[in-house]
Amino acid sequence: MLRAAAIAERAGIPTVSIVTTPFLAQAGVVSQGLGLPALPIAEYPGVPMTDGPDAVRAKVTGLLDQIVDGLSRAVDGGGVTAAEPEPRAIVHRGTLDEVHEHFQTNLWSDGLPIIPPTRERVERFLAHTTRKPSDVLGRLLPENREATVWSIAVNGVMAGCRPEYMPVLVAVVEAIAEPAFRVEDAGSTPGWESLVIVSGPIARELQLNHGQGVMRVGRQANTTIGRFLRLYLRNIAGLRIPPGAGDKGSIGGSFHVALAEDEEAATAMGWPTFGMDQGFRRDESVVTVQSVVSVSAPIYSAGTRALDHARILAEVFGDACAYWSSIGMKYNRWQPLLVLGPSIAGVIAGDGWSKDDLRRYLHEHVTITARRAENYALQVGATSYTLEAHVKAGVLPTAYAASADPERPVPVFVQPEKIGVLIAGDPGRNQSKGYVNNHIQGARVSKPIAR
Amino acid sequence: MTNSEREPVYDVVWPLSPSAAPAASLAARVTDLSGKTVGELWDYLFKGEQIFPQIRSALAARYPGIRFVDYETFGSTHGRDEKQLAETLPAELRKHGCDAVISAVGA
Repeated sequence: MLRAAAIAERAGIPTVSIVTTPFLAQAGVVSQGLGLPALPIAEYPGVPMTDGPDAVRAKVTGLLDQIVDGLSRAVDGGGVTAAEPEPRAIVHRGTLDEVHEHFQTNLWSDGLPIIPPTRERVERFLAHTTRKPSDVLGRLLPENREATVWSIAVNGVMAGCRPEYMPVLVAVVEAIAEPAFRVEDAGSTPGWESLVIVSGPIARELQLNHGQGVMRVGRQANTTIGRFLRLYLRNIAGLRIPPGAGDKGSIGGSFHVALAEDEEAATAMGWPTFGMDQGFRRDESVVTVQSVVSVSAPIYSAGTRALDHARILAEVFGDACAYWSSIGMKYNRWQPLLVLGPSIAGVIAGDGWSKDDLRRYLHEHVTITARRAENYALQVGATSYTLEAHVKAGVLPTAYAASADPERPVPVFVQPEKIGVLIAGDPGRNQSKGYVNNHIQGARVSKPIAR
Repeated sequence: MTNSEREPVYDVVWPLSPSAAPAASLAARVTDLSGKTVGELWDYLFKGEQIFPQIRSALAARYPGIRFVDYETFGSTHGRDEKQLAETLPAELRKHGCDAVISAVGA
């Protein structure tokens, strides 16, 4: 919304943006990152989604003078003026406790203790990449800072990574810097969290866990690579919860540890690995990053046939995705991820099903009524949302408006090929789990790991 | 003996990186909205369908000849490809003769 206003201002057209009170602090970060810190704003007090028509009317009346002022009398506040340190500059000297305190005070840490980023430690990380420290891999909105190789190393040190993880960290940042990932929306209210998936030989070399407890903290590579990304988003993209600003996740969640696949199991059952599904060779090391906005219940399934498992996967994963599917339908680029336990995948593959067979089954058997989908989108804030309008706009297939019956079932997964399927978890139990991504925000992006 | 004499001391570097925020200035403002054309940009969220019509009628009552280009003309600003938006929006606004823009709702 502010980004659209900034585009208009740059085109020479004055703007005013209506921002609700709870978003003002985030708006400040966004405006600063856009290079227009004085972007005019008219403040709508409170939360429009809990206001009735009379309250909306009264509040809009109160906006009018601000709108006129914003368009006619706004004063340009200029760009970033405060001097900032050079990358290699020493910004603090102290004991471990003092360093920790300094970083907390400046909102440079995540609340956990950090490894002090000394030049020597940073240099050890840089020795594991061929990139120059000054190389810029992209710029990360909303705070809009350069994603430099140096800053990757610094935050990698802080997160407790080992220097040899550096090639993975570089690929992670390359992925989130891709426009398709939409890092600028990583502070949106659903509070989605980025999930790093490491594929190929490097996952074994770095001893990433892919088995029992795969998504728990406890294995250094999985844990610290996951923590690194949250720290990096905080420090370079400027996504900080209060007392900072920039991150408006309403409730949010903690960082995910990096996920790796049981690629030996996938290969043994004749399925492509997750990395291969992203277009890479089995022997290529790859990082994939995607958003996760919620996680399903543990999906226990039993039986000797593929169908036995597919039915319960459809029920539990489908239920986890159902309500958020209305937002997935809004953009039709939704990419949920199903992590299959090795024993489950073994039965499904052993029964002759491919991953695409499973995806197709989920597409055909997981539905939601049009009424529930539209109603939930309205609750989120899409107050003019209808499936019919999205069909007319060419976003959704015609099947989504096949009738006017609000109780008509429509597929939760619009594009089955976009469902990620990955094998991980306890081979000694019959459990899977589903990860719901946040529609186009945090789209799945893969990058090869350069070594 | 102070803490710093007993414990190792670390010289640490900055964990942030240079700002990439482009130098930019606000556009010249419109001194009077009378007879001007105002473009509406909406992210299709948070009751803009109630907010914009009210703004339209209130400003029309204050400023003779003011004209509005409805948000439907431009489509949603939320979720669109950022690059595409940056490339097409200025020309779209000019095509419709917009002298000013109201963008809503949120952050």
